Amino acid sequence: MNFDSWVLVLILLSSLVPAVVIFLLPEESRRWRTAINLGGAGMKLVLVGVVVWGVYHEHTYSVSLALLPGLALLLRVDALSMLFATLSALLWFLTTVYAVGYLEGSPRRRRFFGFFSLCVTATIGIALSGNLVTFLIFYELLTLSTYPLVVHRGTEKSLRAGGVYLAYTLGGGLTLTLAIAWLQALAGPVNFTTGGALHHIADAHAPALRWVFALMILGLGVKAALVPLHGWLPQAMVAPAPVSALLHAVAVVKAGAFGIVRVVYDVYGVKLASQIGAMPWLAAAAAVTILYGSLRALSQDDLKKRLAFSTVSQVSYIVLGVAIFGPVASVGGTVHLVHQGFMKITLFFCAGSFAETLGVHRVSELDGVGRRMPWTMAAFTIGALGMIGVPPLAGFITKWYLGTGAWEAGQPWVIAVLAASSLLNAAYFLPVIHAGWFKPPAGPWPTQHVPAGARGETHWMLLGPSLVTAALVVVIGLLANAPFTPLEWARLLVAREYE
Amino acid sequence: MTGLHPLTLPLAAAAPLLLAMLWPARACRAATVWLTPGAALPALLVALLMPEGATVEGRWLLLGARFGLDGTGQTFLFFTALLWGVGAVFGRSYLARDATRDRFFLFYLLAMAGNFGLIMAFDAPVFYCCFALMSFASYGLVIHNGDAEALRAGRIYIYLVVLGEVLLFAALVTIVGATGSTRLPVAADAPLRPLTVGLAVADGDWRRPAAAKMCGYALAQVRCATPTSAVLSGAMIKAGVIGWLRFLPWGQTPQPAWGSLLLLLGLAGAFFGVVVGLTQRNPKTVLAYSSISQMGLITLALGAGLVAPEHWPAAQTAVLLYALHHGLAKGALFLGVGVAQATGAHGRGWTVAGLLLPALALAGAPWTSGAIAKSALKAGLGALPGAWAEWLAVLLPVSAVGTTLLMARFLVLVWPRESGRGHLTAGMALPWLGLRGAVAVPLVGWPSAVGREGTTFDTSKAWSSAWPVLAGALVGWVAWKWGAPRARLPVIPAGDLLAVVERVSHSLRSHLSRRGFGRVWTRAVGGAAAALRRAAGNLEATLPERRCGRSLQRWPVAGGVFLLLIVVLALLLTPLR
Repeated sequence: MNFDSWVLVLILLSSLVPAVVIFLLPEESRRWRTAINLGGAGMKLVLVGVVVWGVYHEHTYSVSLALLPGLALLLRVDALSMLFATLSALLWFLTTVYAVGYLEGSPRRRRFFGFFSLCVTATIGIALSGNLVTFLIFYELLTLSTYPLVVHRGTEKSLRAGGVYLAYTLGGGLTLTLAIAWLQALAGPVNFTTGGALHHIADAHAPALRWVFALMILGLGVKAALVPLHGWLPQAMVAPAPVSALLHAVAVVKAGAFGIVRVVYDVYGVKLASQIGAMPWLAAAAAVTILYGSLRALSQDDLKKRLAFSTVSQVSYIVLGVAIFGPVASVGGTVHLVHQGFMKITLFFCAGSFAETLGVHRVSELDGVGRRMPWTMAAFTIGALGMIGVPPLAGFITKWYLGTGAWEAGQPWVIAVLAASSLLNAAYFLPVIHAGWFKPPAGPWPTQHVPAGARGETHWMLLGPSLVTAALVVVIGLLANAPFTPLEWARLLVAREYE
Repeated sequence: MTGLHPLTLPLAAAAPLLLAMLWPARACRAATVWLTPGAALPALLVALLMPEGATVEGRWLLLGARFGLDGTGQTFLFFTALLWGVGAVFGRSYLARDATRDRFFLFYLLAMAGNFGLIMAFDAPVFYCCFALMSFASYGLVIHNGDAEALRAGRIYIYLVVLGEVLLFAALVTIVGATGSTRLPVAADAPLRPLTVGLAVADGDWRRPAAAKMCGYALAQVRCATPTSAVLSGAMIKAGVIGWLRFLPWGQTPQPAWGSLLLLLGLAGAFFGVVVGLTQRNPKTVLAYSSISQMGLITLALGAGLVAPEHWPAAQTAVLLYALHHGLAKGALFLGVGVAQATGAHGRGWTVAGLLLPALALAGAPWTSGAIAKSALKAGLGALPGAWAEWLAVLLPVSAVGTTLLMARFLVLVWPRESGRGHLTAGMALPWLGLRGAVAVPLVGWPSAVGREGTTFDTSKAWSSAWPVLAGALVGWVAWKWGAPRARLPVIPAGDLLAVVERVSHSLRSHLSRRGFGRVWTRAVGGAAAALRRAAGNLEATLPERRCGRSLQRWPVAGGVFLLLIVVLALLLTPLR
């Protein structure tokens, strides 16, 4: 084995080893834990950077590890894996910083950070999976490692939410397992292949392939929160803010969406997927989800719940872009994997900072918060405007590509869906922005919540990550055409897919 | 001087933005406010010195940005930059004692950058971006004074902005989809489908106050600070016109249906503005409605360009001259309202005399900019086929009589009635006088930098432009002398259509609820909605949770399921090898 093989294993180990070490460390050794966490996150960033550079220059990395007799873990990267892996590595680093600040002085931090690292290992594993079985293993590992994070607070409400979460995701996992087993029985082991891996059996097994596709989408749709499989997501917002941030931007929801992209592009291939007539159904499901999620978000007063329904809606932009046959819309869909991640994590960081610093959890309590915490509110405003799709922010780039792509593919109805979604997004985000900046505060802000060691508006570990992600939302939108932006990367991978 | 480097284009648009970036630092805030007028200077220089046809590309910016300046851009940028600059000087004094002055100037700078940028935007995403910046930043200007009425105006304004954004998005996406390029202006031979043209028309119409927009616009005016009114009415209102000029393929394919629609919209706007404006009691709303009327006239020229593309150059000249003339005159009038309020009774004669020139210009009196623009408009409309030309030959002078009446009404309303000395400062008087000076320039001929052919007044047309003004003045004088003291005009509330809709819906609701029917209806609708919500909530909450949620929470069960999955999978896979 050479470095090219080992680097992928190292990427996995850079969070798996910290997880194990953190479980072994005593609860009190805060400094060591933080150092190991950040060290692992930093190392992962560097390693991912190296691989990104290689993939850009058409270098291939792959490694196969024997797991059980007849069952091997295949790790391999392509442009799509690196899009997701970079997003996870970068946001994990920032979320770790945020989580250290957020949980300062709270109990059970060992358990939290241990599972936190496991969760990221699983996510990166999903990104690097080279075949369906490997994908499934990491996918299920993600389900299980996230559960302790959702129920971290241990309250009645969070235990209930955890139960719902497990019921949904394990059900989805079971469906996915069934689908994968069926497909393997038909086609043998399926490696992810740009352009599709099933052409050789397309004619012989068309009806079965249709069913397998439906089952796979059902299984993945649970995590991707496609309506009506989304019920667990709004409840899971009882988790601590860093977990919600990771759940909504990188880990669980994104894993589902990433899985759908993989199935359409690298298992079936866009051509086969549209041959078997699956695309219109997928597009319809995405459109319904987009509108339904936004409609439900309108009436939520709990800020995190409003954001959760907004995620339901926004993640389906990815599915919508994938389901429109044509390169431009595909760019819009895949790039939203990253764009939604940056915008949503900014919003959750800010929501967490409001809750942690001022004890504010509801939209109706946000009046005048911009005067008390101007920088956090500014970051929130950028995230929210990005969600609406206001240029030059990241969300605009997505919307633009989806819109022009839909027109090019002869599906103008998509533009109407996007327009309606923008209106709804504006309807549930703009009042928050107005209240935060222009309304006078209802009374003096409470001081008992302000985290220890906070100078300025809040603890720097809460403010810093939000500012960084907000700045990234601006940069990847404003300089979308520059090299190494998510947009450039999405174009690269779509060009390879549509070759 | 051979001209500036093209890179100055985006820099001129970004200058206010860069200044705004200093704003968050408290130490720099006072300096930022003080420097605001200077932020308009680069754009003004670009308008005057940049050679026509300069373009510059920024490959990394957005989706490959392109900025440029053509003849249209020169004219628009000139008066836009002038108005923003002068408005800022005026605003510094006008808001000197205002507690939220600093916040006002932050939004002022942002909106200014957006307005400059959209004039120089030569590709669709940049245009959209600048438009969004201008519209959203203006929200801060509209709700500046913060009372309930301003918030209501702001709410309506933001509805209109968001709807406008969505229409603009749809229009741009379809245009780019149809032409295969994000470049603006759209090529004259671009193959646009009717849907695209329709969306573009609807979009421009939405932001140019023709239909629904005007209510929100007029309403917003009442509560605006005077410098906001000046830039809103003089500069920002013209963004829709720029959009039309950029998005539609002018001068090649006739679009009779859409052209006729524009002509009708233009006529409706021209007369609607006059009629509603005459009933207003606030000088600023009178001016706002006069803007609606004047924008209607610009729309006429655009409609003519769509119906008869072979005469587009004449129509284009009319559009540019009208936009320029209206921008300067309206700016001078709005600032004059602020000056008149500040002078009080002392020296009111001078103030109102000073307002006479822009008022006469707007009415189209001979030798003024208005007369030049009007004759350009006549030339532009002259090419229209039969019936349109005949009708317009009658209706245009009638609208000029109407505008004169409107201006007379304005001068009566603006007459300061409070006695005592005012507190007019040089910071307010000088910018106003400067803008008035700019309005006076065409008396001797426009400089070539902003001019095109036919920019001096043709003396032979003196009578044709004089009689509507004289007639309007006569009617106004008669009405004032005999009519006004006895008969009071019925007042149409500012925000006309919208106010009517609000009132009707309110009275309908209260009427129905008295009869009991309303209560039944409300309860039925509310009950149905609640039931739906409950059903959806139940669907989400109950299904999995009650059945298996509990048992799955226990670790061994969850772990066991996971292991089972792996074993099943392994068993399934082994025979394949």
